[in-house]
Amino acid sequence: MKKYLQIFKLSFQQEFAYRLNFVMWRVRNILQIILLFFLWSSVFKDPQTEVFGYNQEKILTYVFGILILRAIVFSARAVDVAGEISNGDITNFLLKPVSYFKYWATRDIASKVLNLSFSVFEITVLFLILKPSLFLQTNPVALFAVLISLTMAVILFFCLLFITNMSAFWMPENGWAAQFLFIAIITDFLSGGVFPLDILPLAFQKVLYSTPFPYLLFFPLQVYLGKIAGLEIIRGLATAFTWVFILFMTVKFIWAKGLRRYSAEGR
Amino acid sequence: MKNLKKYFKIWLLMSKNSFLAVFNQRMALSIFLIGKILRFFFFFVFIIFLLKGTKSLAGYNLNQTLLFFFTFNLVDTISQFLFREVYRFRPLIVSGGFDLVLSKPVNALFRSLMGGADVIDLITIIPLTIATFYIASLLNPSILHTTFYILLVLNGLIIASAFHIFVLGLGIVTLEIDRTIMIYRDLFNLGRFPIDIYKEPLRGIITFLIPIGVMVSFPAKAIMGLMTPMGILWSIVFGILTLFLSLKFWNFALKKYTSASS
Repeated sequence: MKKYLQIFKLSFQQEFAYRLNFVMWRVRNILQIILLFFLWSSVFKDPQTEVFGYNQEKILTYVFGILILRAIVFSARAVDVAGEISNGDITNFLLKPVSYFKYWATRDIASKVLNLSFSVFEITVLFLILKPSLFLQTNPVALFAVLISLTMAVILFFCLLFITNMSAFWMPENGWAAQFLFIAIITDFLSGGVFPLDILPLAFQKVLYSTPFPYLLFFPLQVYLGKIAGLEIIRGLATAFTWVFILFMTVKFIWAKGLRRYSAEGR
Repeated sequence: MKNLKKYFKIWLLMSKNSFLAVFNQRMALSIFLIGKILRFFFFFVFIIFLLKGTKSLAGYNLNQTLLFFFTFNLVDTISQFLFREVYRFRPLIVSGGFDLVLSKPVNALFRSLMGGADVIDLITIIPLTIATFYIASLLNPSILHTTFYILLVLNGLIIASAFHIFVLGLGIVTLEIDRTIMIYRDLFNLGRFPIDIYKEPLRGIITFLIPIGVMVSFPAKAIMGLMTPMGILWSIVFGILTLFLSLKFWNFALKKYTSASS
């Protein structure tokens, strides 16, 4: 446990070593939120408007919620795994008495803590400038469900990111391209990171709910907004848990296969 | 004229080399192409369903909103296709390899700006152009308004060139390219929807200070007959002025080049 605490500390310091990189990443997040905020403010100009089951208060809470949830779920350092596989750096870890997964999970947590603290600050500033009316969930059961679904979202994203990065075992030059397609495009859109998924037709939503993507951002936010309650929450959490199990087993399977394929190129 | 022909030939040669390099990595090419198409498709679907529910966005109907989106993509894709080399400029400056560019009998700015056209964007330009003109035709524009549209899209590309030249100049002065270009791209993304959705002072900023509105929203407004001739003239003067200033900055930056590491 001590060594992972040390990794956490070092990782935290490393994030500060590349301050400009980090600040730019945050600026990019804010610009995305500004686009969404004004887009939805324009749609819900009249506070009485109600479209897709949202009113002005709930949709703006969704937009601000995305900023927080992105920091918690999508902030990760494991994006570098593909690079380590393709240039052979992973060999160093295979020789050390450290679990490779726990190492990256620790680094991810450090990144999440830092990003979350910044996003809270950003939200405060944006709130003071834009003065939106936000929805506050007070039901402790719903808040507890949000917490559980967020925990599963973090694990789900870690697995998805690792699976994508491990493609570098088979195509070492295309690890970054795979991340662009599966993480930056597919996961971002299908998790509800760009728009709420319930504006799509019901049949399409049903198909999406059987995939792991909505459980990353959309489902926790729906629970927070009170749009999903009672049995629906339990059903959603059960599906998310099933996906956690499936993806965790997939990670282990691909890791074992990948290591057999690995030939320490560049070493 | 002779000079223009020479530079066109050089551009063709450099583009051919760039395409060959990309075709060598067919898997990466396919993945990026699929990614770009998917992103476009997701946004397209979003706009369709959004406007189905709301009927209008900032006063624009579905076809009008789609035209804003398609025009944004057209200007973005063409400028990405032409100016991809800017993304590869930093290593040249950091390593001192820019010396080799300067010593060749080709304009250094031309080489740094347009030296590596992007084949992925080239593949999407033709279908995107056809689709944009189809969407525009649904609005029944007059020939005059269509001419204004084409003029303002070209003007948007001039401003995009100015932006990229400015980024190159900044690269020489500060050795920083990647983040500046990413911020430019994120700001540019604000033009995906009509700029009328933004409130002041942000709308003023992205119209006049960072002229995304002039680049992508004004052409679409012109074809809808929402721009006055004076507004169009002003936009073109603004575009030319931006290009002029960026060239001045490039010349200033060149004098700051120290040929480090070479």
